[in-house]
Amino acid sequence: MARFLIIEDNPANLELVRYLLEHAGHRVDGAVDGLDGVAAAAAMTPDLVICDLQLPLLDGYGVLRVLRVLPAYARLPIVAVTAFSMPDDRKNVMLAGFDGYLSKPIEPEMFVEFIEAFLPSTLRLQALSRQVEGH
Amino acid sequence: MKADAITPLASDFPDAIVVLTPDGQVAHWSSGAQVAFGYSAEEAIGRVFDDLVVPVDRAVEQRKMLIDTLAGGIIAYESVRRRKDGSLLYVDVTTKVLDAADGETPCILSAEKDVTRIKVLRDAKLMEARFRDLLESTPDGIVMANPTGHIVIANTQAERLFGYDPGELRGRSVDLLLPERFRRAHVGHRSNYFLQPRKRSMGSGLDLAGLRKDGTEFPIEISLSPLRTEESEFVMSAIRDISERKSFEHALREKNVELANANQAKDRFLASMSHELRTPLNAIIGFTGTLLMKLPGPLTGDQDKQLRTVQTNARHLLALINDLLDVAKIEAGKVELKIEAVDCREVVEEAVATLRQHAEGKNLQLIVELPDSAVILQTDKRALSQIVLNLVGNAIKFTEAGSVRLRLSRRSRNGSDTNTLIDVQDTGIGIPQEDQARLFSAFSRVGIPHAKTPEGTGLGLHLSQKLAGLLDGEISVVSGNCTGSTFTLTLRGR
Repeated sequence: MARFLIIEDNPANLELVRYLLEHAGHRVDGAVDGLDGVAAAAAMTPDLVICDLQLPLLDGYGVLRVLRVLPAYARLPIVAVTAFSMPDDRKNVMLAGFDGYLSKPIEPEMFVEFIEAFLPSTLRLQALSRQVEGH
Repeated sequence: MKADAITPLASDFPDAIVVLTPDGQVAHWSSGAQVAFGYSAEEAIGRVFDDLVVPVDRAVEQRKMLIDTLAGGIIAYESVRRRKDGSLLYVDVTTKVLDAADGETPCILSAEKDVTRIKVLRDAKLMEARFRDLLESTPDGIVMANPTGHIVIANTQAERLFGYDPGELRGRSVDLLLPERFRRAHVGHRSNYFLQPRKRSMGSGLDLAGLRKDGTEFPIEISLSPLRTEESEFVMSAIRDISERKSFEHALREKNVELANANQAKDRFLASMSHELRTPLNAIIGFTGTLLMKLPGPLTGDQDKQLRTVQTNARHLLALINDLLDVAKIEAGKVELKIEAVDCREVVEEAVATLRQHAEGKNLQLIVELPDSAVILQTDKRALSQIVLNLVGNAIKFTEAGSVRLRLSRRSRNGSDTNTLIDVQDTGIGIPQEDQARLFSAFSRVGIPHAKTPEGTGLGLHLSQKLAGLLDGEISVVSGNCTGSTFTLTLRGR
């Protein structure tokens, strides 16, 4: 089990990601704006952050910058999941320093596996062994 | 006679009276000198006379005259001086060695008379006689000035341009025609110009302005040409009022900014539209997926079937959004092609690998004919793949039984040029002649008599044809009723 923080302002999409990850046995916290997201990250120290880009108060790039300057979160995996899907968007996201990029709409069948690949290695092994058992 | 002995006499004299030491320093400076050259006695005394008022191009002459004076006693000559403000004046000079007391070095007395006005009027008279008729015949304003920057002739067009009465400009400084901020630079321009006169335009690339008599400014363009006569050297300026052109340029610039803004607004609109449409689709496709994955629990057969219909339609909507964005990008010229050496065989093989399962699912034969050697083309691989996938996908979609045949070939056109062709031939229902013209329009949906499901976006061929155009190619079709269709992508170049 890993602890995920999802920063997403659209309630339906927050619910979707939460549902998929919880169903895979993970613990999930949600935040609906960028500032809330940074505060939640500090409070719960997640294993991985899933972050929308267009967010109220502080956008996804801002969240990334704030978390990256704090030594405790410098190596925290942060994956952008965004409806911005122009060719430049992926490049901008990766150049900004996100660990991964996924464009919406997400494929629910592949989502959990895709996200788990960004987990720190010990947690990833756990997740993999669970996937193998499940099959 | 000592230098200070001449003071009472010189102070009333209108000409410039200057006493120089043998090494050229100013020892006495009369009030006439102050009027003529603009420097006060305090400013001038002790300075080297040449540095103070002798223009660079007259320095050699001046030195020679002083040497001659020291040798011969009295010399008279005509020369040019530079005032403190940079303007030039003509002077008639008489120099004389002052007798020195025993043991003292002799000084030089120089009496300099400002003859600018007389000289300019004399030049003007000469030039008028020669050039007036010629100058009146040109549409441009022409101003002719002597090396000191005084106007010798201005034609009627120039007088009108700057708002002066006939003859009013003669003898005045050309600086009068320029706004204050250009004058200093202009004096420099002019002195340099006379050192190396040649025809050229002045202020090309600069925004020059003319100054009218009433103080208003207007944009001008000046072209300068040297004019040498036996008396002197003149510079002829052809002046053109470019207000109209400037206002056109301004309007054009504003229009361009407007267009750029509109373009940016369109880009922003497309990006936001894409974002806003994807956000709700994420929830629709996502939750349909979780239900179909049976994560919340088992489904009845009907539930499963209906959810698959939702999923298919949602995916179709997504494909439509993607295609529309592609079309918009092509039309806005925003597609960045990555032109490189591409082996077309690879592109065809990849497309076949992607769609083989789909064809086999419909029991269609997928036949590929490739040349033995590589078919290398300078093109964009992604765009080419997209076209081939679209053509093969369509062929499979509209063929109920039989085969889809892919052929890659090269055909030389009138000897030298070689075209690369990709034919996609199906054994489908064919496309009636009358529908073939509309085939490549957006949303035309021809040849689907009883389409049951919303397969395809109606943009595929439209998009492929546009992409082919970007790759310097085109898609053509040959089809008859019931005999199947052959779509051919022809790419020019190597």
